Amino acid sequence: MRFADPSQYIMDDPDKGVFRVHRDVYTDQDLFEMELKNIFEGTWVYLCHDSQVRNPFDFYCTKIGRRSVIVSRDENGELHAFYNTCRHRGATLCQTETGNTKYHVCNYHGWAYDAAGKNIDIKDKDQGCYTDAFDEQDHNLIPLPRFDSYQGLIFASLNPDVPTLEEHLGEAKILLDLVAEQSPNGMEVVPGRSDYTYSANWKMQMDNGMDPYHLTSTHTTFMKVVQRRQDGESDNEQVTSPDFRDRFTMAAGMYTFKNGHSMIWNDHPKPETMPFWGMIEDVRKHVGDEKAKWMARSRNITIFPNLQFNDSTSLVLRTFIPHAPNLTEMKVYSFAPVDEPDELRTIRVRQHEDFFNSSGMATPDDTICYFDCQEGYNAFPDDYLQSFERGIGNLIFGPDEEAKKLGFVPETSLLGSFLDQGETSYHGPYREWARLMRAGHNKDQPLAAE
Amino acid sequence: MSDRELLAQGEDILSREALYIDMRRWKEWIDLYHEDAIFWAPAWRNDEELTENVKREISLFYFESRAGIEDRVWRIETKQAPALWPLARTTHVITNPVFETPPSETEMTIHSAWTCHTYSLRDRSQHAFFGRYEHDFKKFDGDWKITRKKVILMNDYIPAVIDVFCV
Repeated sequence: MRFADPSQYIMDDPDKGVFRVHRDVYTDQDLFEMELKNIFEGTWVYLCHDSQVRNPFDFYCTKIGRRSVIVSRDENGELHAFYNTCRHRGATLCQTETGNTKYHVCNYHGWAYDAAGKNIDIKDKDQGCYTDAFDEQDHNLIPLPRFDSYQGLIFASLNPDVPTLEEHLGEAKILLDLVAEQSPNGMEVVPGRSDYTYSANWKMQMDNGMDPYHLTSTHTTFMKVVQRRQDGESDNEQVTSPDFRDRFTMAAGMYTFKNGHSMIWNDHPKPETMPFWGMIEDVRKHVGDEKAKWMARSRNITIFPNLQFNDSTSLVLRTFIPHAPNLTEMKVYSFAPVDEPDELRTIRVRQHEDFFNSSGMATPDDTICYFDCQEGYNAFPDDYLQSFERGIGNLIFGPDEEAKKLGFVPETSLLGSFLDQGETSYHGPYREWARLMRAGHNKDQPLAAE
Repeated sequence: MSDRELLAQGEDILSREALYIDMRRWKEWIDLYHEDAIFWAPAWRNDEELTENVKREISLFYFESRAGIEDRVWRIETKQAPALWPLARTTHVITNPVFETPPSETEMTIHSAWTCHTYSLRDRSQHAFFGRYEHDFKKFDGDWKITRKKVILMNDYIPAVIDVFCV
C-alpha cells in the first residue's frame, strides 16, 4: 500500500474546493482486502428484494463480499438469513440461486435444517456415540449478525457492531420511498435476470450510477438510435425511450447523504413516456403531489455500498458483488409495480431491454469504459483522478430549496440544469469509504506498548 | 419435396446466417429475415426456467420486427459505440438441425444447436456463448425468409459485452 492510512487516498478539502481520489483505490489488492473486511463485511449491504422470496419456504442465495449467504422465508412468513454452509462438514447448502424448499438437506452427510435455519436432523444421531459436549453445541445454521429490511429491500450486516438499518439509511430513506411507493400495492422484481461481470473495480459501477457527465459521450449511439426512431430513419416502433436531447435544459441536481448515500436527479422532459405515468393519478392520491413530482423526475440513487436504482429509461435495480480489484459481478433487474397493467409493463420491459440489459445498447458501453479505466490506472498508477470536482464551486452544504420542499436533509446539495453534469455526488460515498477504511485500519493497529 | 430436401434448404440459410454475421456482411444477414420477423432471446427466470411472457417478463432480446436488428447493426457500423469498437471477431457454428413438427413446402421450423466464439480485440480475451436456436421459415415469392428466430442462451453469465452478433 502506498499510504499507511487508507483515508489518505481521498484528498478532501471543502474550504479549497478540492476533492480527489487516488487511482490505487481501484487497483490495489491490499486495499481491496480491506474493503471486503471493512465495507462489505463491515456495514449494511443490500441482499435482495422481498418479491424474490415472496412465499413460505422461498430462498435466495447471494454473496456479501466473499461470504455466500441464504435468505429464507419460513412457514410463518418470517425472513431469516444465514451463511450458506452446513454446520457439520461445511459444505455449501444451497447450489441454486433461488428455490422453494421446506428443508435444506446437506448433500454430503445429510444434516437437515428447516427454513428458519434450525437443525432438525443429524443423520443417524442415535448411533453416533456423541457425548453431552456435542449436544451442548449449537447445530443450527449460523445466522447473519444483523438482518433487516426497509420498504421490502432486504439488507444484512456481517458486523454486529453497526447502527440500526433505519439509522444507517437515515435521511436517504426518502430516496427508497420514492421508488417503493410508486404503487399502492407494492413493487416487485420483474422476472428475467441479467447477470454479468466486468473486468474492473466495483466502485466503477458505483460511480457510473451517479454520473450524469458520461451520458453525452459514452451513450452517443444510444441517443442517436432514439433520435433515428423519432425521425423515422429507423423502423423500430416498439420502444418509446425518451430523447435525451430534451433533457439538456431541464432542472437537475444532486445530493449526498450521511453514511455514503447519494442521489442525482433531473426533471424529465416527457414523464408521460414513463410507464409509471400511466398510474399517476393513483400515485398522487397515494403519496401526495410533492412526492409524485419527485417520482416523475429522473433519479439515480446509490445506497452505499452496493444498491443502486436508476429511474429514467424505466426503473432498474442494480446490485454488485466484488470478486477482485479488477472483477465485479452485476445483478440487474427491472423493478415494477406488482399490479402493473400489461400495456404499461410491456413499455417498461422494452425500455429496460433497450438500455439497461447487459444485452442492451447502453450498459455494455458503460462496462467497457470501466475496463478502459482499469487499464488506464495501470498505465500511470500514482496520480489523483480529476473526476470529482465538477460543480464543486456551487456546492450547498445542507438542503437546497428542492430538498426542503419534500422535507429531507442531505449533507450536500447541488442545483442547476442537466448540462452542468456535476460530480459532487461522489463525495458522500467516498467520504464513507474513507471513514470505514480508516476505522478498520485503526482497529487493526496493534495496541501501543505501555 | 421430401423432408430431407426441405431440411437441406433450411440448413443452407442457417449456414449463410453464420457466414454473413462472421464476415460482417450485415445487409445480406438482415435480408435473410422477413421485415416482420421476430428476434427473441428469452432471459432466464431462475436456474431452470426461461421467461415466457414477453409482455411482462424480461428478455435478453425481443424485437417485434427486423428493425430491432437493424438498430443494432447501425450502432456497430457507426464505430462510435465503445463496446462495439473494435468489434469482437466471431465464429458461429450451427449444427444438429432437426424438425420437431412436420414441415411443408411453404412453412417450417428448424431446431438447431449453436456456439459463437468471440474474440475481443481490446484485451485479447476469448469467450464461447452457446445454446439452441429455433428458426421459423416461410416462403415469400419462392424464397425462404426467417420469420422468427428464438435464441436460448445457455450460459447467461455474461462477460461484459453481448449483442445480436454474439448469439
